[in-house]
Amino acid sequence: MAEQDNFKCLRCGNEYSLPKPEKATMEERTCPKCRSNSVRKVG
Amino acid sequence: MMDAGRHPRIELMTLSEVEEVNGYIGNFKVKVRKKARYVDEKECTACGDCADVCPVTYPDEYQVGLGTRKAVYIPFAQAVPSSYVINPENCLGSNPIACGKCAERCEKKCIDFDIQDEIVELEVGAIIVATGMDTYDPTEMDEYGYTRFQNVVTSLEFERLICAGGPTEGHFVRPGDMNRPKRIGFVQCVGSRMENRGNPYCSNICCMNTIKDSLLLKEHYPDTEIFVFYIDLRAFGKGFEDLLKRSREAGVNYIRGLPGSVMEDPETENLIVDVENTTAGRLEQYNLDMLVLSVGLEPRGDGDPLRQALNLSKTSDGFLLEAHPKLRPVDASTPGVFLAGCVESPKDVKDSVTQASAAVARASHILTSDKLTVEAITATIDKEKCTACGACAKVCPYGAIRWEKKTPAEVIEAMCAGCGTCAAECKFDAINIKHFSDEALMAQTESAVAENASERIVAFACNWCSYAGGDGAGTSRLQYPPNARIIRTMCSGRVDERFVLRAFELGAPIVLVSGCHFADCHYIDANRATQRRVDKLWDKLEKLGIRPERLQLEWISAAEGQKFATVMREIEKMRQRVTAEEIEHTIKVLKEDRGKQESKRKAKAKV
Repeated sequence: MAEQDNFKCLRCGNEYSLPKPEKATMEERTCPKCRSNSVRKVG
Repeated sequence: MMDAGRHPRIELMTLSEVEEVNGYIGNFKVKVRKKARYVDEKECTACGDCADVCPVTYPDEYQVGLGTRKAVYIPFAQAVPSSYVINPENCLGSNPIACGKCAERCEKKCIDFDIQDEIVELEVGAIIVATGMDTYDPTEMDEYGYTRFQNVVTSLEFERLICAGGPTEGHFVRPGDMNRPKRIGFVQCVGSRMENRGNPYCSNICCMNTIKDSLLLKEHYPDTEIFVFYIDLRAFGKGFEDLLKRSREAGVNYIRGLPGSVMEDPETENLIVDVENTTAGRLEQYNLDMLVLSVGLEPRGDGDPLRQALNLSKTSDGFLLEAHPKLRPVDASTPGVFLAGCVESPKDVKDSVTQASAAVARASHILTSDKLTVEAITATIDKEKCTACGACAKVCPYGAIRWEKKTPAEVIEAMCAGCGTCAAECKFDAINIKHFSDEALMAQTESAVAENASERIVAFACNWCSYAGGDGAGTSRLQYPPNARIIRTMCSGRVDERFVLRAFELGAPIVLVSGCHFADCHYIDANRATQRRVDKLWDKLEKLGIRPERLQLEWISAAEGQKFATVMREIEKMRQRVTAEEIEHTIKVLKEDRGKQESKRKAKAKV
């Protein structure tokens, strides 16, 4: 299974995971539930 | 192109690649690799004797593989310079010499296998990027049968088949049996306006290209039946609607609906196309001799090295980002660099010429000026305070900070765009930004929470996107809480963690940092520094026992007035949940933390 990054939305509290990107590029983070960008990488 | 080639003040460097760009507006130093042509272009008369004897045959790139060329060839009839070139990857005789027939045949002795690549260094005042685009490869759209059926071609292949300079010398035939097709279908939006495959944007030129092709066919072969399958036709622009009308009047059939499947009749090689005609509301089947896929445009696949060399940004669709979509549409984000043609977005010939003319005018303004006006908002470095750590140089998106170990950093003002990321990154207060100084921004922060601090939302908004989004919300009369105090910075990257912590220390319940979407950053990628800084701040707040949720981050574009108002309303609800005890605790821990930090700094200074 591909490695995952864990995120927490600091607006709605939603916690979710995404596969680690292949390249170390920084992508815009958006909460899939509330569309907020206040998303913190956790864990 | 001939005119440009002959112009005494234009040096056309063909078969060349930009390898490195240094310097700044008015003083660029460009390193160009002039690739070996193996043919003396000054002596070559393009007689073609060399190609006649060349034993190697390859697919001709100019004819999109529908014709062939030799290893020594002239790319196309009107190519400038009018000289043959040897492709070393195809040639049998370059190294080691195994063939050499072309060199033997050439009477003028123009062919020399020992010619090497040459590095040319140029000093230029301005740079115009006009590297064009690629067309979409429809291989992945298997339902159209592009890889399975010979008589399914792309619009570019069709263009070559109908062109007098094409592989059939303008005798229009289908590739399957070399007979003239009499029933032709065009499928629009192949690779355009698609979310899951291809590209989500409209490629701008395809509708008009098909209309032009349909008229061309009707003019040359009036008995041809033409069917155009489309989602909707976009014929905006001078004279374009008239052209569409003429095409309809000439008998071209426009069917609203894209084919769901394409099959081939194995006997006739004709194509059976199933389409849902959404105007008539029924499924229809067409028996066609040929199907043309109107493919969209894409950013060049090999464009990234040049983009990185010039420090340019790209939009989410991969085309180069202009400095401002309305006010500086031909300027790139790097001063002194301009954009022309499809490198910026898909466009037709007229729009490309218009943009190129504007880019030339903008560039000539630089070349004819004795002095250049630089940004009023730039960084300045206090050399006394600078510890030569180099953190500023690392985050500068423009490479405008010159720094060497043990030497205080120095700002090249002509390159600095004034985003302020360096100032926010500097831990020693050694950098300030003209018109957006630390003192001014700190004073604004303090004044935002000077009265009724617990009722305030402190919002830092970047000039280009979020602040304009707030403006948009206001002019659209969208309601958002009046207790927000908005502090404008040129870029969200300017927001120093001290401003945020100071707002919390003075009793702010919520702080918002807001900037442009990643792809829209007006300072190349300065807002990535914002994300990193906010990430660190969230960690710090948590460590100090302060809820990280109280620091919010949003990317809001100038067009997202609605989003700005919604975010503000949501943040106001969050503010109401922050208790007085929580604010008091925050004030206490941040004061203690600041005390500790100051003691540390004093101790360091003594050392």
